[in-house]
Amino acid sequence: METKNNDNVCEDEIFSSIFKANSKTVFNYIYYKFGNEEKAHDAVQEAFVKLWENCAKVAPEKAKSFVYTVANNLYLNVIKAEKVRLKYADKTLKTTIETPEFLLEESEFKTKLDNALNSLPDNQRITFLLNRIDGKKYKEIAEMEGVSVKAIEKRMHLALKSLREKIDGI
Amino acid sequence: MQENHLAKWLNNELSEAELSEFKNSDTYASHERIANATNSLEGPDFDSEEALLAFKNKRELQNTKVIQLNPFKKFLRVAAAIAILLTGSYFFLNASNETVTTQYAENKEVILPDNSEVTLNADSELSFNKKDWATNRNLALEGEAFFKVAKGERFTVNTAGGTVAVLGTQFNVENRNGFFEVTCYEGLVSVTFNGNKTKLPAGSSFVAINGETISNEKPTTNVPSWMNAESSFKSIPLKYVLDEFERQHNIKVSTKDVDLNQLYTGSFSNTDSDLALQSISTPSQIKFKFEGNKVLFYGENAQ
Repeated sequence: METKNNDNVCEDEIFSSIFKANSKTVFNYIYYKFGNEEKAHDAVQEAFVKLWENCAKVAPEKAKSFVYTVANNLYLNVIKAEKVRLKYADKTLKTTIETPEFLLEESEFKTKLDNALNSLPDNQRITFLLNRIDGKKYKEIAEMEGVSVKAIEKRMHLALKSLREKIDGI
Repeated sequence: MQENHLAKWLNNELSEAELSEFKNSDTYASHERIANATNSLEGPDFDSEEALLAFKNKRELQNTKVIQLNPFKKFLRVAAAIAILLTGSYFFLNASNETVTTQYAENKEVILPDNSEVTLNADSELSFNKKDWATNRNLALEGEAFFKVAKGERFTVNTAGGTVAVLGTQFNVENRNGFFEVTCYEGLVSVTFNGNKTKLPAGSSFVAINGETISNEKPTTNVPSWMNAESSFKSIPLKYVLDEFERQHNIKVSTKDVDLNQLYTGSFSNTDSDLALQSISTPSQIKFKFEGNKVLFYGENAQ
C-alpha cells in the first residue's frame, strides 16, 4: 500500500487500493464460512462502508484487519451455513489423454473432497481454503483471525488430516 | 515427526529427513493428491474492480441522500421541539394563571387559594397565579374590587395606576382611566403611587385623578357602598360618576351641554336605574331622557 505520509484512509486513492487488495479475500473469507455468495458480496460492501465511515480513525496498516473484523462480525450467528461449492480451475481438467476410468475416478474424488471440505469445522475450512486457494501465508491468516501462527498451523494440520481420513474412508 | 507436520509440509518447512520419512508413509499419496487438488480450486467469481465501482456508486447515492434528507430532519426536529414548548407553555400558563372578569352590570366573588375573598365590581378583571399563591400573593387588577385578605405574608395588588401592598386587612381598590382609589376598611395598607409610598390606616382612602393625589374623607361604612348595591361619591368629577353609572346599569350614556368636571357628592342605586338617574341628575341640576337603550343627559340651559 502506498501509505507513506498518510495516517488515515480517507484519501480516495489509498482507499481504492486497499479495496482492490483486500476485497476478494474478504469475499472468499465470508464465502468459505457460509457458502453464501450473496452474503459474501454484501459483506464486502458493508465492511468497506464501515471502513469509509471510520476512515479518519483507521490507519492504513490497520485497514486490513479492520475490514476482516467487520466482515466477520457482520453475520455472527445470523445465517445458517450452506454448502461451499468450489470450482476446479481449468488447468487440471486440461489433461489430454485420460482413460474413462481415470476420469470417473477423478470426479468421484472431487465429490468426496467437496463433502469432506464441507464437513470441516468452519475455522479449519476457512483457514485451509485461504491458504490453498488464496495462497495466504499462515502469518497473514493468523492476523486476520486474530490468533497465533501456531493455532493456524494446528488448523491446517487437522484440516488436511481429516480431509485425508474422510476421502480414504477411514 | 514434529508437531503439525502436515501444516509444515504444505508450507515446505519440513527438513530433508522428515520429508523423506513422510514420503515413505502410507498416507503420503493421498495427502499429496488432496494438496494438489485443493491448490487448483477456485471460489466463486469475484471482480474487485466491479465491487469497487458498486461501492463508489452506493457511496455517492448515500451522499446525495444525506444532503437531501438532513435539513428536513433538522427542520422536523426543531419544529417538534417548538411545538412541544408551545403546547407545554400553553398548558403551564393556562394551569397556573387564573383570570376572572366581569361584564357590565355584573359582580363576582372570587375566593383565592388562601381563602382571601375578592369581590369584583362591574367591568373588571383580576388575574393571579394559582400555583405560586402560597409563596407569592401577587395579583393584577383592572377595574375595581374589594379585598378581604386572609392573614399571612405580604399581599400585593398591582394596577396600572399604582401598587397596593397589605397584611391581613380589608380594602377596596379602584383603577379606571386615570382614576385610582384605595380605601382601607380594616388593618393597614401601603399604597405606592408614582413612586411615593403612602400608609393608609383603617377607615381612610387614597384618591388620585389623572396622576394628581386628592385628599379624601374617611369612609363611613365598613364595606364599600357598591357592595351594598349602591355607588357613592364624594366630590368626584361628574365624568367618573357617569362612567360608573354606565358600568353598573349597562346603559350607554351621552351628554350635551353638561359640565363633566363639576363635582358630585352623593350616591345612586346599582339596581334601580330610574332611581339612579334621578339621584345623579337632580343634585347636578341636569336633565335626562331615554333614547332607546341609551340615556342622554343634557343641561337645563340647553333647551
